[in-house]
Amino acid sequence: MQPDDWRESDLFRLLVLGVRDYGIFMLDPGGHVVSWNAGAERIKGYTAEDIIGRHFSAFYPPEDVRAGKPDWELRVAKAEGALEDEGWRVRKDGTRFWANVIITALYDDTGELRGFGKVTRDMTERRRAEQQLTDRRRLLAHLVEAQERERQRIAWDVHDDTIQAMVAVDMRLQLFARKLPDEHRETVEQLDGAVRSAISRLRNLVYRVRPPGIERQGLRESLAIYLADTSMVGEIRNELERDPGDDAAITIFRICQEALTNVRKHARASSVTITLSTVDRGFLVRVIDDGTGLPDLDPNAGHFGLIEMRERAEASGGWCTVTAQEGGGTVVEFWLPDVRP
Amino acid sequence: MIVRVLIADDDPLIRDVLRDVLDEEPDLEVVAVAADAREAVELAERHAPTVVVLDVRMPYGGGSHAATEILQRAPSTRILAFSAYTDPGAVDEMRRAGVTDYLAKGVRNTELVAAVRRLGER
Repeated sequence: MQPDDWRESDLFRLLVLGVRDYGIFMLDPGGHVVSWNAGAERIKGYTAEDIIGRHFSAFYPPEDVRAGKPDWELRVAKAEGALEDEGWRVRKDGTRFWANVIITALYDDTGELRGFGKVTRDMTERRRAEQQLTDRRRLLAHLVEAQERERQRIAWDVHDDTIQAMVAVDMRLQLFARKLPDEHRETVEQLDGAVRSAISRLRNLVYRVRPPGIERQGLRESLAIYLADTSMVGEIRNELERDPGDDAAITIFRICQEALTNVRKHARASSVTITLSTVDRGFLVRVIDDGTGLPDLDPNAGHFGLIEMRERAEASGGWCTVTAQEGGGTVVEFWLPDVRP
Repeated sequence: MIVRVLIADDDPLIRDVLRDVLDEEPDLEVVAVAADAREAVELAERHAPTVVVLDVRMPYGGGSHAATEILQRAPSTRILAFSAYTDPGAVDEMRRAGVTDYLAKGVRNTELVAAVRRLGER
């Protein structure tokens, strides 16, 4: 038979037999295997010779066979026309794989059931990859949460203990300076100045580590205060249809903080614009500056801030990307899902 | 006229230095010192001070609770919140509790003394 003479059905048969990514085979109305392709052999380990004529319950784990699952699936396919299932299946050598299975009832022109078409896909790799991704996200979420808790603890300790003690020392020094003769007063006043400037630096540190009242005063206000405190010229455009919850607000604030730190340290920008908007039932945030652009935009190149931003976004189920803007400047763009109902 | 002052702060260093700073002034007299919100209410009741210098974060309900209770018993008491917290939320909470003035810890002693004197004159 020359290729020119091939009928469409021959070509189709070749296609089915040759497909290696999917197991494609037929069952007779009673569930016995009547055809077998290369994909089925690869996935299940049986050759056509091994399996044709055997009942398809050979592919199911013993507990499913005992529960009557193979016959139940054929009944459903017969009644509904088709059935899709994901679950464990067994290879010839007894090992298991995670399969996606579609069983389609095949009727001839007279309406008589001629058998079932079965398409099987090995999803083990994908399942493992998804599992790993979920595990990684969970781990990241725990890390972010632990980091926030730790930061809060440090902030409170510094605030309630260290700063208070230094305030008391400062007040004591002022009291002391008043009682000293002029020649010593100046020295004590200098000391007092040093303590006061240390208090102010510690306050800034506490604020950076744990912005107070983000829950109380809201995200927009916290960002505005942060811009003002770091002496940055910026604009915040709030186009959110719904304000984020506390967790999302903290994550958004932290990523913006990281982005703004990069702007401050590297970009030599004169102004920055933060836009908050609602997209895809989530929060899309853009931090755009007009600076010289970051020297290295590859987040895998070890630029810690970029990695941290991305990990924070991914830990919340979102994404973060950093790109150069046309005509200079950098765009940090990230999206977080709104997980509330 | 001498202004009678009650101090309430859970930090012993701050309590002591506050007392010394205020007692240093001839027209101010510290009549009692409390270490928490509950004690602040008790001592305010017993000593009827003109001015209370009140910390915000304190055991037993914090400064806002103490302020509400003190003002319920003696509405003419003037209360000066003296706190390390300066965020709008903390300030609002104290204002709602009825404090007359709010000073951030870290101001100069002279400012603090002036604020206490001002409240005492009202």
